[in-house]
Amino acid sequence: MGIRIVIVDDHASFRGTARALLEAEGFEVVGEAVDGATAIAAIERLRPEAVLLDVQLPDMDGFEVAARLGGNGSSPAVVMTSSRDAVEFGTLVADCGARGFIPKADLSGDALTALIG
Amino acid sequence: MDRRTVQVALGVIGLLEGLGAYALVLASDHESRPAGVFVLFILLGWAFIASGLVASARRPDSRFGWLLAGVGYAWLLSALSEANAALPFTLGLFLNSVWIAFFVHAVLVYPDGRLDGRIAKVSAASVYAICTVIQFLAVLWFSPERELPDCAGGACPDNLALVSANHDLAAGLAATQNGLGAVAGVGTLIVLIRRWRKASGPLRRALGPVLLSGAVYMVGFLVLLGLDLTVGLSDNVTTAAVLSLFATTPIAFLGGLLRGRLEQASVGRLVVELGDAEPGRLRDALARTLHDPSLELAYWIPETASYVDGAGLPASVEERSGRVVTIVEHGGDRVAAITHDASLNESPALVRSAFAAAGIALANERLQADLRARLEELRASRARIVEAGDAERRRLERNLHDGAQQRLVALSVALRLARSKIAADPAEAERVLIGAESELTAALAELRELARGIHPAALDRGLEAALRALTAREPVPAELHFDLTDRLPRAVEAAAYYVVAEALTNVAKYANATHATVEVSRVDGTAVVRVTDDGIGGADISDGSGLRGLRDRVEALNGHLRLESPTGVGTTVTAAIPITMGLG
Repeated sequence: MGIRIVIVDDHASFRGTARALLEAEGFEVVGEAVDGATAIAAIERLRPEAVLLDVQLPDMDGFEVAARLGGNGSSPAVVMTSSRDAVEFGTLVADCGARGFIPKADLSGDALTALIG
Repeated sequence: MDRRTVQVALGVIGLLEGLGAYALVLASDHESRPAGVFVLFILLGWAFIASGLVASARRPDSRFGWLLAGVGYAWLLSALSEANAALPFTLGLFLNSVWIAFFVHAVLVYPDGRLDGRIAKVSAASVYAICTVIQFLAVLWFSPERELPDCAGGACPDNLALVSANHDLAAGLAATQNGLGAVAGVGTLIVLIRRWRKASGPLRRALGPVLLSGAVYMVGFLVLLGLDLTVGLSDNVTTAAVLSLFATTPIAFLGGLLRGRLEQASVGRLVVELGDAEPGRLRDALARTLHDPSLELAYWIPETASYVDGAGLPASVEERSGRVVTIVEHGGDRVAAITHDASLNESPALVRSAFAAAGIALANERLQADLRARLEELRASRARIVEAGDAERRRLERNLHDGAQQRLVALSVALRLARSKIAADPAEAERVLIGAESELTAALAELRELARGIHPAALDRGLEAALRALTAREPVPAELHFDLTDRLPRAVEAAAYYVVAEALTNVAKYANATHATVEVSRVDGTAVVRVTDDGIGGADISDGSGLRGLRDRVEALNGHLRLESPTGVGTTVTAAIPITMGLG
């Protein structure tokens, strides 16, 4: 099986297409979450290897979610994503403990695999 | 009967009662004091009745005047003990202390007629008990012949209520009366001192004369009681001392009334002072004239139907404990509201004259305050326009980000997915492409909506075209009456368009209306835009940012925006914008 991944984004259309794309490229999408709190709960429960995490969420931002996930031992590889450009976030991506950033429009299995390693 | 007739009738009754009392004294066969002393006695009773009736005419809602008059009636009634017949004589024995109860009660409730606090209530209750219940019991054992020097040798008629002559019991009850009287006296003094300490400046001026004479009487009473118990005083000395102390109260009260009149002279000084007053010193001049340092002045701004202070900032005008509001008019128009100490209502003539004298000066200062209020509103409006611009940019960014941009992102991912599938699984690729197409359609619709919000394209073809397009797509049927032939300056057209758009949005959202009318006309050099609905009304311009933002926009063009929204009748928004060429 491919890499087990959870997709966190509040836009249903993006979650749907991202799931279809990643599954087509060999990932196993084990869960989806629409906000920070349910994301943290789902990740603790599902123990995925990777998380595709949107920056802008309704309850807290993706950087905070990433930082909280980093605090609890066996943390998954987090990849931030956004429809905005990486330059808008400066060093926030590196500071929160995420592996890297992929703009939503450039999402692909190869780009993810390259960051997760 | 009206109040005036009642007052006159009561005055006549008091007059007759005094004459009757004097006749009883002259005819009495058991009165050793000279009749001249009793002229003073009668005059004192009349003085109480007169000042009581005057006080009750001035403050009919206060019990004080009636109690003061009651003192006079009861005082004169105590002359019944001068009667030669047994029945009135016995009644006189029962009633001859009632005036003391009324007197203490009157002093305790001065000036507003209320008994405040437990000490005041206990003092009043005990003095009533002393003068009625205990007095009644004492009379039952009181033998006039043995107890009163004037009655020795059977000079007085019989005490019809006498159960049996018992000197010890009668003396014991008299001692109880004195003891309780001392307690009530101290209680009353405490109440008076407390009231004085708590009173505001103007209240002190009103309280002063009566409280002072009440306090002097109480101190005098306690001193006399002490002397009587220790060294013993002759009846004549006690009577003279009590009389002269007692006489100060109606005199003090009448003095207080007179003082109110004299103070009108200080209104003359106010007029002079206003002549040289620097701007903004009017409040101080009024506070000095009315002896109320806490006086507050607020100016009425008719356009906004609200009050502002001297600096033009919104001011709240409300009556609260101990403070009342007097509205000042000049030339029939409301000019200002003055919040002042409630006790100034004791001198209504002074307040009226002072405010009348201040009328012109107030009207002038109101203009200044109005100007300051406009400057303040301009400052606030500029700040709101900047804020509204920022908020609008934030809203646009969010709408773009959450709407079209998300859809285009999804579309981009879907296209990549379709490309990867197209060789191996064309059916799946086609399904993905169908989904992508609907995302694209939705993204285009959202972009169109957004662009229209930024600037309606139809507005380039004129206000009428834009309003026709707008009213045609409103959920609530809206009728357009467009009565302009020439194009307006762009800025005016845009403001008019947004007034209609916001008003119709509110109609759809809140008004619960079945129909709306939009009228655009030109009155002299002004474009008038009016949106009326038949909904529930009750809208308030300060409720939401939408209408307030529009008012700022309209006022930035020197126009006015007015909202009329009586509950149950519907809402009318009217914008009047001067058509100034050279704009946009």
